[in-house]
Amino acid sequence: MKTSWVWILTFVGPALILLMVFLIIPIFASFYLSFTDFNVFVMTDWSRAKFIGLQNFVELLKDELFWKALMNTFYCLVVAMPVTVVLSLTCAVLLNRKQTKFKNFFKVSFFLPFVTNTVAIAIVWSWILNPSYGLLNWFLSLFGVKGPNWLGDPKWAMPSVIMLVIWKAVGYNTILFLAGLQNIPDFLYEAAELDGASPWQRFWYITLPMLKPTTVFVTTMMIIGYLQLFEEPYMLTQGGPLNSTLSIVLYLYRQGFKFFKLGYASSIAVILFLMISALTLLRLKLAGRK
Amino acid sequence: MRRGFLILLLVFVLVTFSSAERILQIWAMGEEAKNLNVMAERFMKENPGVKVEIQAIPWSAAYDKILTGIAGMQLPDLAQMGTTWMAPFGAMGVFEELSSYIRDSFISKDIFFEGSWQTVELNGGVYGIPWYVDVRVMFYRTDVLKEVGYDHAPQTWEELYDAAKKLAARGENMYAVSLLYTGVFGNEFMPFVWQAGGRIFDERGKVRVTDPEFVEAIEYYARFFWEELAPIGGGNLFQDFASGAVPIFFSGPWMVSMIDQQTPEIKGKWSVALMPKKKTRTSFVGGSNWVIFNTSKNKDLAWKFIEFMTKPENQLKWYKIVASLPAVKSVWEYPELANNPIMKVLGEQLRDAKSPPNIPQWEEIANAISRRVEEVIYKRRTPQKAAEMLKKDIEKIVR
Repeated sequence: MKTSWVWILTFVGPALILLMVFLIIPIFASFYLSFTDFNVFVMTDWSRAKFIGLQNFVELLKDELFWKALMNTFYCLVVAMPVTVVLSLTCAVLLNRKQTKFKNFFKVSFFLPFVTNTVAIAIVWSWILNPSYGLLNWFLSLFGVKGPNWLGDPKWAMPSVIMLVIWKAVGYNTILFLAGLQNIPDFLYEAAELDGASPWQRFWYITLPMLKPTTVFVTTMMIIGYLQLFEEPYMLTQGGPLNSTLSIVLYLYRQGFKFFKLGYASSIAVILFLMISALTLLRLKLAGRK
Repeated sequence: MRRGFLILLLVFVLVTFSSAERILQIWAMGEEAKNLNVMAERFMKENPGVKVEIQAIPWSAAYDKILTGIAGMQLPDLAQMGTTWMAPFGAMGVFEELSSYIRDSFISKDIFFEGSWQTVELNGGVYGIPWYVDVRVMFYRTDVLKEVGYDHAPQTWEELYDAAKKLAARGENMYAVSLLYTGVFGNEFMPFVWQAGGRIFDERGKVRVTDPEFVEAIEYYARFFWEELAPIGGGNLFQDFASGAVPIFFSGPWMVSMIDQQTPEIKGKWSVALMPKKKTRTSFVGGSNWVIFNTSKNKDLAWKFIEFMTKPENQLKWYKIVASLPAVKSVWEYPELANNPIMKVLGEQLRDAKSPPNIPQWEEIANAISRRVEEVIYKRRTPQKAAEMLKKDIEKIVR
């Protein structure tokens, strides 16, 4: 039986229209904008925006702050990704043990940071990180370490932001890993145990390989998410001090919605889009190789 | 069931068409929006047949709301507009030019504070009417200052620096002044430039940030951080002020009631004073203006509302409701303001207050200033070198 086009469109149409209006068209519009000098003066009359070819991109390559934002964002990705994977996998394995008590309590506590409003989190963290009466420096002082001025020191501001990013991401990824762990059939472990495999060997030769689909998914999502780092530095440091926590999206936001240079901001968006696509494809390619 | 629905529909239609009411839509922000209905009711009583609809927008969402309103041309008749937003939104060409309205009105340039009027003038036209102002003054702890031998607020740059040295010498984690919040601090920094006699542009539009006055302001400002007289990084202003760790800061009139609320324990132990003097004691003036959108179909009515809010007796009434500073000079002679010691300082400071250049690129310039001054604070550049870089930045922005 062949379904007629009318029916397909009736059911898929509404979703398709929404997708077009709110996603596809804006993406193409922003792609087009990146080749124009769209700025504050053409806001009410778009036709006055001039087509300037690749000038925005040329400018971007010469923009010191853009490079800084790029470096900062990759700094966050390179540090936060492995740490998040290790931490959330550890949490998941611990939660998956039969002996662990109060499982639901721990699951909820790990997950809470992920669903809590970042504004509230950032205020609490800026207190924790306060150099003179913050919790973190008090804790360090117990060991005789004088903690740095976390948010005021250009060296330590990015690590502070990364701490917040990791803390927020661990809960969500723990749940994903936990789901992956629960899909590993018990008989594999039982067979390995009969063969005399140690717990460490069981983890290394059964758990990790069996978790591969989850790991691929988790790391791919992380690449996409971490490259779009915005909320945490925006709330915690607004990119400062000395632009040491300026991320690509924060810079884009500044150019587009603070300075109204939407053409320039769009060219940043296009570059970010290309970078995320390339890295995601690379990640999937690496995963597909046996 | 069906009949009931029809009757309901009929009632709706009747109600809609029978009321010949004219509706005036207003967007307002923050505390103003919550209390504006008191004034709106009085306005409606004076003008029968008019209905005022106020939409309250939190300050944090206001910028985006206006921006999307402009992009979609869904705008009210009248809106409250932060003074620093006049230029960017004005450049989009959505504000009504008001010169012709002013001609036949009691409203004129001269009844407002000069610094406040600067914020409504754009490219030679008048695009708003001042509503209320705020001006930055020095907040200081009288008791803590006394400890280091100051029975008065520091009056000059030299006194402020001297007092700061003594205050910071009280011990570890003791500072003197709070100068910098995170992020962009162009509005906090500019008063020092003006006090030194510096400026960003001269009359011919040339960038003048490499003038010795401007460089001196950068150095004076940065010195407070170099010598650890001002804290760097996050902190809580109220707690630091109450504990005495940071006994001096510069801020606006909203802080008066906030200090009373947040830290009632220091009541009577703090006061306000004029900005410290170098060449002048110039401060930063901000606040809000009224703007009429040129898409409005009720411009006459909107103007009538502006006139209503500008009348001295209504400005006074408004002061009594939310305690924001009246933009009309004559209101300050009423005893309610003239006899209040804090208001007296604020009123005096208003006579020597400026607003940043009213151009749409100001936000970008403020960012550039913050970036370069910060580089001096962290000793990455000398004040002179930073000023030279800043000159290049600004010339590129306004090009």
